[in-house]
Amino acid sequence: MKKSIYIFSDGELHRKDNTLFFEGENGRKFIPVENTSEIMIFGEVSLNKRFLEFISQSEIILHFFNYYGYYVGSYYPREHLNSGYMILKQAEHYNDDNKRLYLAQKFIEGAYKNIRQVLKYYQNRDKDLEDIIYCIEKLGELINGTLSVNELMAIEGNIREYYYKSFDVILNNRDFEFDVRSKRPPKNSLNTLISFGNSLMYTTVLSEIYKTHLAPRIGYLHSTNFRRFSLNLDIAEIFKPIIIDRVIFSVVSKNMIKKDDFDDNAEGLILKERGKKIFIEEYVSKLTTTIKHRTIGNNVSYRRLIRLELYKLEKHLMEEQGYEPFLAQW
Amino acid sequence: MDMKVTGTLMQSYTICKRQVWLMAHQIIPDQEHPFIEMGRIIDDNSYDRDKKKLHFENVVIDLVRSDKDNFLVGEVKKSSKAEKSAKMQLLFYLYRLKQSGIIAKGQLFFPEERKRINVELTETNEKEILNAINEITDIIDREKAPDFVKIPYCKNCGYREFCMS
Repeated sequence: MKKSIYIFSDGELHRKDNTLFFEGENGRKFIPVENTSEIMIFGEVSLNKRFLEFISQSEIILHFFNYYGYYVGSYYPREHLNSGYMILKQAEHYNDDNKRLYLAQKFIEGAYKNIRQVLKYYQNRDKDLEDIIYCIEKLGELINGTLSVNELMAIEGNIREYYYKSFDVILNNRDFEFDVRSKRPPKNSLNTLISFGNSLMYTTVLSEIYKTHLAPRIGYLHSTNFRRFSLNLDIAEIFKPIIIDRVIFSVVSKNMIKKDDFDDNAEGLILKERGKKIFIEEYVSKLTTTIKHRTIGNNVSYRRLIRLELYKLEKHLMEEQGYEPFLAQW
Repeated sequence: MDMKVTGTLMQSYTICKRQVWLMAHQIIPDQEHPFIEMGRIIDDNSYDRDKKKLHFENVVIDLVRSDKDNFLVGEVKKSSKAEKSAKMQLLFYLYRLKQSGIIAKGQLFFPEERKRINVELTETNEKEILNAINEITDIIDREKAPDFVKIPYCKNCGYREFCMS
């Protein structure tokens, strides 16, 4: 499996003949071209066209984050897997309101069921979540009866509202109280972790989409304006609870990230470099954790599960097998 | 002559009809699959002295050698396990060349096994190729891909996760 490279330091990315290296304060570090699928850039890094040319040829994606850790954008090289057939199918399922709603509902159903699974796990560990789970289940029953994507989004919003309330019960940590969901900028530590984690998840899914025949600009739940990437946001909904939120619970409850890992800044509360590194380490270890896959029959990593989700979506678009979202079993 | 049929499709044809349909719709297998990567490297690094990659209409031939009157086309493969399908692919190239008035001999190369197999277009296998071309055209024209059927080949196939997810 190809790897992701994370760059935190400042420096320059270079191409020398057919090799790539990063030159920072601590000297040169070579990037194995054949073995890298994406580079996540957090530091102040400069690069040139020669570098981008080689990156494109090697089918490596670059994801940029600004100083505050917010996602800036991606360098998504020219697509190498083109299937006119698949793009037409993808558009067909977007243009037909019923087909679009079906997929949007499935993504929310996946998010909802995985949220419930996360809550059940903590309920079994004696956290008082009964009322929240009850409310979420009531809302969850409404998903399949929604008549429009907007109505569906409203239900999803309500589910999340209850869900985020559970964070205080699960974490029970005064330094990490949820309060309300605040973005751009996040106003407290917990919101900062959620935003940071979610943007990592979006880029990971985008990198997986790059390796399929799907067009990232056509999403079903998140409106397409054919400009921004949106399919990655759709698929990320399913995985956020079981990957990002579990990482958050783990770094906070094990005291790996503490109050002083945040900096109050004009741009909101930001996670300092140490905190980012710890979060990413946990995130990467989660993505590489493997579980036994029932139909494939061998172990697959969480990262691979994302790819499989995209394959299932392709088969749905091809009208081979109805799409059913991945549900965590524990 | 239907230009939709290619050597790769001919190769898939003897293995899996579903693969033929997927390939023809440009839904190509996982490029990070270890065997696919290996195949690419073997193809790139073997037989450096020969003329490589002859493009002719919609056909790409791995390797071409000619001395005196003999014109030899070769196809490079990782293993001889799927010999039959490799043979069909090469016969297809020979058939296409013959249509253009070029009589060539064929050879399958298995550099890892240091093995070669001669392939010649005969009346019998020319018929076989013609049948295959017709059937491949029928498969491609289908609205949907043929259903997934699990076969031993699936174990090492680049579509494994696609089909089984």
